[in-house]
Amino acid sequence: MSLFGTTSGFGAGGTGVFGNATTDSHNPMKDVEVTSPPDDSISCLAFSPPTMPGNFLIGGSWANDVRCWEVQDNGQTVPKAQQMHTGPVLDACWSDDGSKVFTASCDKTAKMWDLNSNQAMQIAQHEGPIKSIHWIKAPNYSCIMTGSWDKTLKFWDTRSPNPMMSLQMPERSYCADVVYPMAVVATADRGLIVYQLENQPSEFRRIDSPLKHQHRCVAIFKDKQNKPTGFALGSIEGRVAIHYINPPNPAKDNFTFKCHRSNGTNTTTPQDIYAVNAISFHPVHGTLATVGSDGRFSFWDKDARTKLKTSEQLDQPITACAFNSNGNIFAYASSYDWSKGHEYYNPQKKNYIFLRNAAEELKPRNKKW
Amino acid sequence: MAEGGDVDWELSKENIQPLRRGRAISALHQALSQQQEGDSSAINQQRQAFESELRMYDGDDPLNVWDRYIRWTEQTFPQGGKESNLATILERAVTRFTEENTYFDDPRYVELWIKFAGNCPEPLDIYRYIQAQGIGLKQASLYIAWSEQYENNGNYRKADLVYQEGFKKGAEPHDKLQQFHKALQARVSRQVMMNVEEDDSDEEHKQPERVSLAELKSRGKKKAIAPINRVGSAIRSVHSGMQSHAAPALGNASNSKLVVFDENKSHAGPSEPKLEAWKAPPTSKAKENKQKPGVWCDVKIPLKTKFGHTLMAPPPPKPAFQPFVEESDQPPTMTPCKINPAVNTVLSARKPCREETPLKRLQDHHQQHNEAVSGKPQEQSMYCKELLLSGATEFCFEELRAERYFKKMRQEVGGQKDEASASASN
Repeated sequence: MSLFGTTSGFGAGGTGVFGNATTDSHNPMKDVEVTSPPDDSISCLAFSPPTMPGNFLIGGSWANDVRCWEVQDNGQTVPKAQQMHTGPVLDACWSDDGSKVFTASCDKTAKMWDLNSNQAMQIAQHEGPIKSIHWIKAPNYSCIMTGSWDKTLKFWDTRSPNPMMSLQMPERSYCADVVYPMAVVATADRGLIVYQLENQPSEFRRIDSPLKHQHRCVAIFKDKQNKPTGFALGSIEGRVAIHYINPPNPAKDNFTFKCHRSNGTNTTTPQDIYAVNAISFHPVHGTLATVGSDGRFSFWDKDARTKLKTSEQLDQPITACAFNSNGNIFAYASSYDWSKGHEYYNPQKKNYIFLRNAAEELKPRNKKW
Repeated sequence: MAEGGDVDWELSKENIQPLRRGRAISALHQALSQQQEGDSSAINQQRQAFESELRMYDGDDPLNVWDRYIRWTEQTFPQGGKESNLATILERAVTRFTEENTYFDDPRYVELWIKFAGNCPEPLDIYRYIQAQGIGLKQASLYIAWSEQYENNGNYRKADLVYQEGFKKGAEPHDKLQQFHKALQARVSRQVMMNVEEDDSDEEHKQPERVSLAELKSRGKKKAIAPINRVGSAIRSVHSGMQSHAAPALGNASNSKLVVFDENKSHAGPSEPKLEAWKAPPTSKAKENKQKPGVWCDVKIPLKTKFGHTLMAPPPPKPAFQPFVEESDQPPTMTPCKINPAVNTVLSARKPCREETPLKRLQDHHQQHNEAVSGKPQEQSMYCKELLLSGATEFCFEELRAERYFKKMRQEVGGQKDEASASASN
């Protein structure tokens, strides 16, 4: 049986397999290390969709590559394949059937990687680096959505070199998320645009940012009926906004909370504020994980408005995170996020991807199921 | 192409903002043709190149990059306007160097301030502010621009005083300052002459006309009765009725009451310039409501007079909902106030101001800097904030890193063959 499904010592088993990584602080949570991690900062992580048997993890990196690992039930990871871009990879996603992986890069192209044949072909072209890529599966169409620093959002039928649609944005795309029929793009200059995807993509609404600082990550959450109903938006200054699209009571339902800050609430020392690098929602419980430049991850219950857990501090920022399709595995990547500029970049520093049992820790508290 | 360019320029003259230095006709042609073709990618790439240069620059003259960026913007967007982003760039540029004394008498920096002042609603405040900061005190161009501003407002006396100040400070180049000062004097005296002539001709040739909105001299001793004859001498003063602050000076000028400046007299005379030093930057707008914030729900307001009339409408019922307030919306000094009220009393009493003017922002920047130097900040950002925000637009971490990456690629490839680096270097 799957160790991920049970609460019993997945983490302990992992450290057993991968030796005693205990004394230094690169893995203070004693989680499972993914074998042969990328050689440079990890920009994105994504697990295979539920339609696929087993768990596969992809990760893109600043070393221009995308790697794919199989995550076995005992926690062991097996590197399966890799593909290269001619520039750093900034984002990656799966198709809904899990047969293909789409990757977006600084080389201004996006590629479709067929995992069965291990062939990759270019499917998109922008005038600037592509920051986000998402697969859209609608009843009447399916396509790839790419958001770029060239201030456009484009939709691609994977067979044509020309986009089916190109939407102008007021600013450069910084982050995006898609849960059909909703897409949200956060841009530079604190822009926030919601798109609806039914029939065909179109701009739905522009929202005044609930945050005061640069947008860094966004993730859509669903309601009880499994429909997208709002999004969590993370900023560069340790804060996350929970924003509903059509809340019954906007003043009450929308809120922001602080995170990824040093605990120095006693005012003798100033409080250190770190960027929120990524947000991911648990597919079953609807709770969320945030990871930050401070090298910590935190789990939150947005409905109870409580923190469920904060990790120990890693010796590097956490740049990306993801849940697998049934929510039992939480993957997070430890690498430099450039938050202090190139002076603090150490190419010799090793990068890690860790896997953690997420089945119990992300259960909402005080809830009768 | 050249002919087409000529036509472009002829057709859109009114859209081209004049520049102090003039425009390069070739740059103008290029900018206009690019705009007609709607080809903005080249402009965007150039702008991007400047933005990244601002962040990557590690030489000892960072002002140089800003200077070139601003000149390029002026030439590329002849219409000015929002998309040029010029106002923002200027503001960032002048703010960037307010602490670097080495630039204070750099003509380029002073030039930036003059351009910035020209973009502000209250240029005179800006000039006074930078004078107080000690910026450009030895630059003739500052005094010339400042004086011109006064002259445009019709305040010739102040315009002259500014030149006096310039002479006193020994502003360079002296010749230029003197030349402009002479020109000012010539303009003023010519205007006085013309007004005198006009007045004469008016009286000779024209029937007296009634003037709208003019204040009339009243007749009668106890009751003020407007005269029947409402022209000529019945009008109290043509210019002072409805006009605002700058007007009295203008009125004086046209009534030829202006005291023409005499250089010899002024050295000993009372016209010693009284340009008071500014310790702190000016507040942008005088605040009218000076009432201290306090708890309002306990305040009793007398609702009825002795006649039983309601003086004020009853306060609206308390809303049933809790208005959404972001936590950080409160003045940031509220929490620390508990701990150290002695230090922060002044700051905590101030409400966050909605009003945003360039000067206000400058002032805030200055204040923040002082606070950062003197007191302890309550929060500190653990990322390279100055790098993200140092240009006219913000960058994210990945953009910074990508610029660094592209630069490295260009160096490695040597600018040939590799597609990625070739398109990035354009």
